[in-house]
Amino acid sequence: MKDPVLRISNLQKSYGGRRVLDGVQFDVSAGEFTVVLGPTGAGKTTLLRTIAGLETPDAGNIIMNGADALSLPPAARDVALVFQNFSLYPGKTVRANLEFPLRAPERGLGESDIKDRVAKAASMLHIERLLDRPARQLSGGEMQRVAIGRAIVRRPSLFLMDEPLTNLDAKLREELRVELRELARGLGAPVLWVTHDPSEALSMADRIIVLIAGRILQIGAPENVYFAPASPEVARQLGSPPINLISAVASGDLWRCADGTPICNIKHPAPASALLGIRPEHIAPTGGESPATVEVVENMGPTRVVVARFGSVVLHLLTSRDFSARPGDIIFPRVDGGKIIVWSA
Amino acid sequence: MAKTDGGMKWALVAPVLLLLITFNVFPLLYNIVLSFTNAELVGSGSRTVGGANYGRVFADPQFAGALRRTALFVTCAVGAELLLGFSVALALQRAFRGKQAVVTALLVPMMLSPAVIGLFWNLILNGNYGIVNQTLGWLGLPQPQWTTDRDLKFWSILAIDIWMWTPFMMLISLAGLGAIPPSIYEAAEIDRAGRLRVFFKITLPMAAPVLALAVLFRATDALKQFDLVMAVTGPNDSSTQTVSTLIYQIVFRDGKVGLGAAFACVVLVVVVALATVFTRQLDRLRSSEGAP
Repeated sequence: MKDPVLRISNLQKSYGGRRVLDGVQFDVSAGEFTVVLGPTGAGKTTLLRTIAGLETPDAGNIIMNGADALSLPPAARDVALVFQNFSLYPGKTVRANLEFPLRAPERGLGESDIKDRVAKAASMLHIERLLDRPARQLSGGEMQRVAIGRAIVRRPSLFLMDEPLTNLDAKLREELRVELRELARGLGAPVLWVTHDPSEALSMADRIIVLIAGRILQIGAPENVYFAPASPEVARQLGSPPINLISAVASGDLWRCADGTPICNIKHPAPASALLGIRPEHIAPTGGESPATVEVVENMGPTRVVVARFGSVVLHLLTSRDFSARPGDIIFPRVDGGKIIVWSA
Repeated sequence: MAKTDGGMKWALVAPVLLLLITFNVFPLLYNIVLSFTNAELVGSGSRTVGGANYGRVFADPQFAGALRRTALFVTCAVGAELLLGFSVALALQRAFRGKQAVVTALLVPMMLSPAVIGLFWNLILNGNYGIVNQTLGWLGLPQPQWTTDRDLKFWSILAIDIWMWTPFMMLISLAGLGAIPPSIYEAAEIDRAGRLRVFFKITLPMAAPVLALAVLFRATDALKQFDLVMAVTGPNDSSTQTVSTLIYQIVFRDGKVGLGAAFACVVLVVVVALATVFTRQLDRLRSSEGAP
């Protein structure tokens, strides 16, 4: 098997006694699009900065293309980093921004090479018409295109992207998501993309790394992480509305809430008590046995989110727009037993 | 409706307008009127003399000298203060223990009254008993007459001004440097920009608009140089006289108000012309660089 482009092992980093990275370990292979997903403060940015060489880890190894990267300064690591706040050189034109990394003397690129690379990157990102504008005059979306362009022109062996879409508005974010995913396929070099947005992770990643409080809790394909989360913490990171987590007790095949309200029948070789994870889309609003009182109905366009009190627990249900309910209504939620995730308590 | 709005508008603006007219517009206009008379500080009965005062201004070798000296002073003082202040600010960019105390200590000269500073330095640089010459003598070195040697005293005053105002440049430079986002430096580091390239391509252009503003402040101030000259040599010294002290000499020592007013008008025109050119340049700089 080919060596991975990036191999990280047992990375440790603390700031003033607070552990930011705690034994982080993973590989990134050629051409792979890897998304690091985690809440704010999980250590995602520190991880990227450490790989880029802007931070020095307390312990651990970073091997890049078979060589020890930790002994190299940022400039020699052959990675490109795209910042959340774009970090363009504001007084320079877009062209000058794109040329800046290419004009490093060590690269020894000729004028025609530089021109060629800038033109290619500009056409990939559809920013040709912006080339002679000062970076400061661009909109957020344009700035991020230029920032990504500045990374692409270098043709690095690894792209590091630190929440590149977070500072953009929702519509633009979804547009760029698709476009950048397509672009990444054409680049060849692997991308390590950091985000706190689960839909970004699910829609873009070949592989998701869930990072919480400095530890990797799960690594896997998006569907794997979504449908078979390794722990309730991981389950909570993905999905909107959030997954329902219910402590339950089994008597035979029948599972009940702590207060005795029956939830559903599942054949599961699990212990008698467990934490159940039920995705909101796996609960139908009708057809169940126990009643629930609707508390909130949220219209999301094509879908509705219904929040209902079910015995002592509050359930989130994702229903189609056709299902109409009002706060106070009684519904009979039916849980799809086959899709429940069980963590033994 | 529009009418009452108009009335309100004027009522609100009137106090400031009145102050401006009383203390700015009227004195300026009256100064122009005076410049065409032979008015004196004491005594009454002045008469119009036409452009005679202006004729004397342009014929006066003392004025040409003062103008040249002021220009030299502004150029040297502001240039040195910018260079030194910006260098110190660059050195202070790194975090270190006691940085705040160092910055505060460096700001002290700027906080003192120029007149007091002038008097102090007069003592320090005194040819016979000043600490500088005492020390030089003790070391067996020559003891120049800092404030009385005609080839030296201008440069002594310049040095005092630099001592006094370098902290100002440093402070503004620190603010300008602090406004550059660290991530831009990080981007440059990853983009393989060396230290010199970072300095000339990022630090300098991004700090330039703020520095230019500081230069404007300092230059307008240095153009008016008065206190230090008064304190060190007095207003009528042929090797230190600046435009301000020359006008002071004419109006308050010689009592020739009309002539002094003509001098002031000419200086005003020169200063306004310079300021216009400079602010145009500043605008251009700000629009081409990433200034806030």
